[in-house]
Amino acid sequence: MLEQIPTAFLFFAAAIVLFAIPQGRARAALLLVVPVIAALHVWTLPFGVFAQKEFFGFTLDLLRVDKLSRVFALIFTIAAFLGNLYAWHVRDTVQQVAALLYAGSAIGAVFAGDLITLFFYWEGTAIASVFLIWARRTEGAFNTGMRYLVVQIGSGVVLIAGVALIYRETGSIAFELMTLGSLGTWLVFLSFGVKAAFPLLHNWLQDSYSAATVTGTVILSAFTTKLAIYALARGFAGTEILIYIGAIMTLFPIFFAVIENDLRRVLAYSLNNQLGFMVVGIGVGTELALNGTAAHAFAHILYKALLFMSIGAVLYRTGTAKGSELGGLYRTMPLTMIFCVVGAAAISAFPLFSGFVSKSLILSASAHEGHYIVWAILLFASAGVFHHSGIKIPYFAFFAHDSGLRPKEAPRHMLLAMGFAAALSIAIGVFPSNLYALLPYDVEYVPYTTTHVITQLQLLMFSALAFAVLVRTGVYPPELKSVNLDTDWTYRRLIPRVIIGVRKVVSRLWQINSNFWLRRINSAISRLYHSHGPEGRIAQVWPTGSMVLWIAILLGITLIVNFVS
Amino acid sequence: MNKQNDNPETFPRLGQILLWVDKKKNVDRIVYALYAICALLFVADFLYHKHTEIKVEEIPGFYALYGFFMCAALVICAKGLRLLLKRPEDYYAPYDTQSEEYPEDQLERIDHDA
Amino acid sequence: MIVETNTAILLTMLIPAGAMVTNLVFRNRPDLRDGLTLAAAVATFITVLTILSNVGNGTTEPLVMFEVFPGLDLAFNVEPLGLLFAIVASGLWIITHLYGIGYMRGNNEDNHPRFFASFSLAISAVMGIAFASNMFTLFIFYEILTLSTYPLVAHKGTPEAIRGARTYLGILLGTSIGLQLLAVIWTYSITGTLDFTKGGILEGHIAGPAVAVLLALYAFGIGKAALMPFHRWLPAAMVAPTPVSALLHAVAVVKAGVFTMLKVGIYIFGIDFLAESGASEWLMWLAAYSIIAASVVAMTKDNLKARLAYSTISQLSYITLGMALATSMGALGGGMHIAMHAMGKITLFMAAGSIYVATHKTNISQMNGLGKIMPITYGAFFIGALSIIGLPPLGGSWSKWLLIVGAADTQQWVMIGVLMASSLLNVAYLLPIIGRGFFSPLPEGSPTKISESPLLVWLPPAITAFGTIVLFFYAGTLQEFLSPIVSGN
Repeated sequence: MLEQIPTAFLFFAAAIVLFAIPQGRARAALLLVVPVIAALHVWTLPFGVFAQKEFFGFTLDLLRVDKLSRVFALIFTIAAFLGNLYAWHVRDTVQQVAALLYAGSAIGAVFAGDLITLFFYWEGTAIASVFLIWARRTEGAFNTGMRYLVVQIGSGVVLIAGVALIYRETGSIAFELMTLGSLGTWLVFLSFGVKAAFPLLHNWLQDSYSAATVTGTVILSAFTTKLAIYALARGFAGTEILIYIGAIMTLFPIFFAVIENDLRRVLAYSLNNQLGFMVVGIGVGTELALNGTAAHAFAHILYKALLFMSIGAVLYRTGTAKGSELGGLYRTMPLTMIFCVVGAAAISAFPLFSGFVSKSLILSASAHEGHYIVWAILLFASAGVFHHSGIKIPYFAFFAHDSGLRPKEAPRHMLLAMGFAAALSIAIGVFPSNLYALLPYDVEYVPYTTTHVITQLQLLMFSALAFAVLVRTGVYPPELKSVNLDTDWTYRRLIPRVIIGVRKVVSRLWQINSNFWLRRINSAISRLYHSHGPEGRIAQVWPTGSMVLWIAILLGITLIVNFVS
Repeated sequence: MNKQNDNPETFPRLGQILLWVDKKKNVDRIVYALYAICALLFVADFLYHKHTEIKVEEIPGFYALYGFFMCAALVICAKGLRLLLKRPEDYYAPYDTQSEEYPEDQLERIDHDA
Repeated sequence: MIVETNTAILLTMLIPAGAMVTNLVFRNRPDLRDGLTLAAAVATFITVLTILSNVGNGTTEPLVMFEVFPGLDLAFNVEPLGLLFAIVASGLWIITHLYGIGYMRGNNEDNHPRFFASFSLAISAVMGIAFASNMFTLFIFYEILTLSTYPLVAHKGTPEAIRGARTYLGILLGTSIGLQLLAVIWTYSITGTLDFTKGGILEGHIAGPAVAVLLALYAFGIGKAALMPFHRWLPAAMVAPTPVSALLHAVAVVKAGVFTMLKVGIYIFGIDFLAESGASEWLMWLAAYSIIAASVVAMTKDNLKARLAYSTISQLSYITLGMALATSMGALGGGMHIAMHAMGKITLFMAAGSIYVATHKTNISQMNGLGKIMPITYGAFFIGALSIIGLPPLGGSWSKWLLIVGAADTQQWVMIGVLMASSLLNVAYLLPIIGRGFFSPLPEGSPTKISESPLLVWLPPAITAFGTIVLFFYAGTLQEFLSPIVSGN
């Protein structure tokens, strides 16, 4: 019985019930209870396809449960819980409803057994999530939200076009493993790629996650991109091109992250880089690699949320998340600082933290399959991520030069949410077998070997050494009030300028053109009237038959004149 | 900058303890400790049997050197990139990079501590 | 069978015509007048439903009123597309009438009797169009609709309104007499009939480039479909009071245009004949151009109703595109879009009117923050906008899906691209209104509490917004209902 109710509907129902509960603790509590129930529901679901609905001539599979979808759904419910706990203080109905619908859509999409259901939820995540950006209520956030919407809904329309093509080609809408080839599959691939922030399609991520509300970013960081990772893992596992896309994805964001000033944007770049690891895992496509992707997504959601929460708390208390304005906050926000460091250790894959046991699966798999260059890039990216997420974030926010800011410690519920996320990150790192048991395939991987621990520590410590040396010699680039150009320059600067230019030219041409024709038509009409009018010569020899035709033509011309004038 | 509450007494306990890193000397100590750890880790490479998958891994201290030099290269490249990409904060639009001012007294007002 | 189908068809035209008379007779008793009109609206809707229950989605023998020439009758019959159009128009008439009462009173507009009388006559004409069984009958009612809506456009009597109404009449009459009539005569002269027939009547009578020319005469002659470049009348008609824009210029008049377009495509030319002759290829490109160009223009309009008008032009071309694709899926998608777009767009117009009644604001740039004090109006607008964009779980997503499938069937990749781009353009010109409405600060001195427009003004858009959700879930039924129009060709 219970398996006939899609988990997503729990969230949607809660979004309606919410209106009946007055703003306050009762409502905040509802927001916490729903993910817990959902998690239990996901956990008790047997494997199989449930809740099939006949709809518009299709059979929609609203609930396809297998190990891959279950692990993603489970982490999504945990993320929803942590996000809502972190947002306990928020008394904004719009954000509360948006958070529920967003999480519900993401979970629904993970359980979608067919491409049309996937499309429904895909667009659902786009629409619901934009409110978490707009709710910031600044001019910048509004514009960012519009850009975000166009990109996200764009991803959805590309998806539906691809689905239509696949449907007409194969007669099936099943969401199964696909091979790139036909236009339809490429469109679906592109659509997933937009949400997964593939290189050149990535900039919506940095743009929006640094613009959303304090709590909104935490929620945003969990769902959209990992949903895309899930979709890629489901639809395109073993697609070779993903290995190279993923490798580039791990590489380029770290350069931007080093020189970025807004710390939430730094985190968004590092999120982008982490997605690259998962994409490589999908591209390699072996059981080990796909396990790595799932495990890394699971661990990543937790520590990335933790990092966004800690910087969010700083933003909440000081009003800014810019490295150039911050520093020295450890004095008054020591707990936030410690949680931030835990998150940093987890993302950097320190032994005993979650990143260590998940990322190594992907690195091993890529080396195992002989992708040595990719392996070297991933290793570099691992060092780089430690550099900007592991060191730069805590260092510039909580240490570095003293900004003189003495904010209060983060509110208790925020500390609690961070505490949960930190505890889970450590627990996964210490007891990896629990996570491994959830993965899609059986795991025969031992993360804690002498070689692995020592080499990883070498990599990290010498990266730290490089940082220390560069900072102490003054080579390290300081945090400056600035923005850096990225691909968004094309649609925020280049295209508007081109459009303005083209418009000028076209309107000028149009003017010349219409003047010319207007004169022509007027003179033609007067000439016609002269010869064909009632006094004209032709009037004397009018056959009745052609009269109808001429009236029609004249009326047509009047119409044109009417239209032009 | 509100210096008025810049009294270590008002900091949380943990914050007071952590003030230890405020001293230049202690920072130096941390850095020296880092040097020592790095040296130990480098040496450690010679003391156990490495299980490797790829040839380059067998080079002693490969991970250490790779980490150090790649990171240094990363920072230097990024610094170069900045020359190319850096723009003033209001490059795209005024107020584009957010920062609504939250004076601390207002934060107190909207604080809904559980 | 409560009423015989043929009687019912006549009733659907006579009841609104009667409402016109009562409006004029009881000109000084507003409550009685409006009440009677409401009763008429409900009665019309029930009559249409009676027809539905009588014949399902089957077709009936034509009801011949009188013969004009041999083979040229004033005649009516029921077929799925027309029945759908009649259901949509009469159903939304009830809601719009309620809204119209609230709007006209809330706004202190003058000349209520004339307004509601013209409105009723227009509905009568729409029913005639919906049930016309041949092109001749359709043409007559098409012209009656143009003429009866003229006073509605000119209602305010301001120079601007008169000028708008002149453009309206000029283009609609000009195209219909200058081009459509010509096409009708041409068709009659080569086939000897104008009856709407499954599979078309033209095949075998005309060939070569002449097919494309005849199609052009029809396509441009049906000015109500607002195909570019004959679209100017629609923005010009926006000077009319909002209920007119809502029902007539988002539903009845413009849908009469695209309905005629579909009828011509399906029953005069025949989908297969269009596909074989390739005559509709150019029309497809023109429709695609209209879709994109009108959306781009819409982005530049600050006046909310003008923006919605251009959005309508764009959306109408979806339906033309569906016909021009010359596939059964395309034609089905076009037919379904009549209902889906009607429900979505009427919501948008009524919400725009609601904003106007409550605040007297017409420009989007003045509407910052209004969502906070008018949450229901803005909520309805949001849902309507999402349906127009084509997002689930709203009706518009299905018709768009069918159109994309239709384009996929004919390998028209560019058309798929156009439909995708159009969705994004819709996002770009509709959703900022929502974002600004809910999240930008209200100007100084605005009320801080919720202050919606009167009940009769905010409730109707809320109902139609709900309707777009219902349509999403009943789209399968709708598709089944419409399927006879393309089957068995």
